[in-house]
Amino acid sequence: MKITIALRGTLKKYFGEDQERIYEVPDGCTCDEALQIAGLNYREIKNFGFVSVNNKRVMIDDKLNDGDLLKAFSKVSGG
Amino acid sequence: MTMLGYQNKVLRVNLTDKKASTEPLRMDFAEKYIGSKGLAIRYMYEELKPGVDALGPDNKLFLTTGPLTGTPVPCSGKLSVAAKSPATGTMNDCSIGGHVGIRIKFAGYDMIIFEGVFDQPGYVLIEDDKVEFVEAKDLWGLGSHEAEAILAEKYGTDYSIMSIGPAGENLSKMACINSDYYRQAGRGGIGAVMGSKKMKAILIKGTGGVKVPDIEKTTDRILEILHEDVLQEDNTFVYDAGTTAFLEACNDGGILPWKNFSDTTDVQWTEYNGDVLIQHREGKRGCGSCGLGCGNFLKIGDAVCEGPEYESISVAGPNAGIRDPYSIVKFNQVADDMGLDTISSGDTIIWAMEMTEKGLHDFGIKFGDGEGMIRLLKEMATRTGVGAELADGVKIASEKYGGTEFAMQVKGLEYPQYEPRGSWGMALSYAISDRGACHMRAYAPNEEVFAASIPPYTAEGKGQLVYDLQLTNAVKFSLCICDFWGTLTGNYDMMAELMRLVTGKDWTAEDMKDVGRRVINIARAFNQREGFNRTHDTVPKRVVTEALQNGPAAGQAIPPEAFEDMLDQYYEVMGWNKDGTMPEELIQSLL
Repeated sequence: MKITIALRGTLKKYFGEDQERIYEVPDGCTCDEALQIAGLNYREIKNFGFVSVNNKRVMIDDKLNDGDLLKAFSKVSGG
Repeated sequence: MTMLGYQNKVLRVNLTDKKASTEPLRMDFAEKYIGSKGLAIRYMYEELKPGVDALGPDNKLFLTTGPLTGTPVPCSGKLSVAAKSPATGTMNDCSIGGHVGIRIKFAGYDMIIFEGVFDQPGYVLIEDDKVEFVEAKDLWGLGSHEAEAILAEKYGTDYSIMSIGPAGENLSKMACINSDYYRQAGRGGIGAVMGSKKMKAILIKGTGGVKVPDIEKTTDRILEILHEDVLQEDNTFVYDAGTTAFLEACNDGGILPWKNFSDTTDVQWTEYNGDVLIQHREGKRGCGSCGLGCGNFLKIGDAVCEGPEYESISVAGPNAGIRDPYSIVKFNQVADDMGLDTISSGDTIIWAMEMTEKGLHDFGIKFGDGEGMIRLLKEMATRTGVGAELADGVKIASEKYGGTEFAMQVKGLEYPQYEPRGSWGMALSYAISDRGACHMRAYAPNEEVFAASIPPYTAEGKGQLVYDLQLTNAVKFSLCICDFWGTLTGNYDMMAELMRLVTGKDWTAEDMKDVGRRVINIARAFNQREGFNRTHDTVPKRVVTEALQNGPAAGQAIPPEAFEDMLDQYYEVMGWNKDGTMPEELIQSLL
């Protein structure tokens, strides 16, 4: 299935000039697995925040569906 | 006894007698509470009589720096502005940026305490050890921006200026104090305390410095810390986008409120998102001693402000049913000039919008009315028209007109812009905050929402979580460090190192935590003496009775028993009684 991945905040640097990228991922793929396919391991990114699918926060191990927009945010803090 | 890093001196200014005197700083207080927030609250506990009228001559205004203020320690250019709050009746300490804190320190003081009341409107001019009292009849009634511009023209830019607008003069319980035009001590009606003293402005110039044990060693290490810790990606997002970056994160996180917290998230959030607003940026600035420079000057047509920060975007945007960036910036500009806290004034207006739409009372404004918001700001600040009914905030207005179930406040302080049904810990944080609903005491979304794997919709563990967050901020703000040095949060070793560098004393991480616990407790002790207990640690009815309809938190309301469970957990962590009071021996240990 095809999904779109967009990076936000200071994570944007991992996609260079691209605002977002489209990836072919296996059916039943989780957010974590999709990010790894895109070259991002959230466990190794110190300022990794959270993920949303179609503009709704989800847990990192939640599964994706065809056509989903997966966004990964860097941490924000400070109120 | 004295300590390096401190000036070891307090300036006490009596406005009634038009006299000023100096005295040694209470170092027994400083050793236990360090500076800024903690030191101010300890002094308030000592000097404000229980039950003192917050708008009477016996309330005092405490401007308090910390030992790091005026040194090159990054992000240390803040100032605590504290007094008993006319909005809540609790203690209230606000943090203001800019340069005024550093200038107080350079003038030779750790703290300035204003007492009494002018017989006529006036301002106070402080240059090192000289204190002058000047009439301000010509300034009274002016907007804060115009007053500051006139004073800056007259005295020059070597002075930092704190001023109030018409809201402070007219004792609005939502009045703020401005400095450097667009920096605010915003919450709890702190500007009304200044207004009750008929003090339009405070001007401060200092020509001294701050002594540290070893200037070379201190500077070298601070530069290392600046590069190794401060100027890292976790923190530098504030330079790029400021808090506008929060908007999309809060929207997707399910905590961006919509139409007076009746729901969350907005399908058209992109119309006023941070990247849209930042396109209108015309300038940047930072506070003194800042390495991050979060200030963004935006200009859209005739609307200009430093910001808008996330809070103002939310309350004048989606929470008001508005998506127009011009309206948001204009709201921010006018609120600042009128001397009104954007959060409290905005929340009060959006409550009035809902009241009008529901037909409960016609305040002449409905959701989506940006021009009406500007009109009401001016009316609230001058206590004219419909605004006269709203000038003291949403608690007082709702007690008169109804709609208390959707009056979003705790203890009389209006809700910040993080919807707690999407971040349950935030409901607890607002409830137990020492000055009413405040997001700066324990910022739960950072752990519950902006993290990859922590469930936000549960009470489990939230008492400890909120305490841990509150503890680190209590220390950080008593060090007088800005919240935007995010990587310092929870890093007690580095906090202790900063104190060692500046004071030469052997502070440890455990010492820092001890300070934090005392700060939380002395604030609670002050409030307890004013009659506060568990019955005041509340959540608005809407949060526990109405489920959200949209966003990732759709279907969520916080069950009342879950809220009470969180309170129980928190009190247990704090060692407080079930009824939210503190054991007497705990209070005595703080003194």
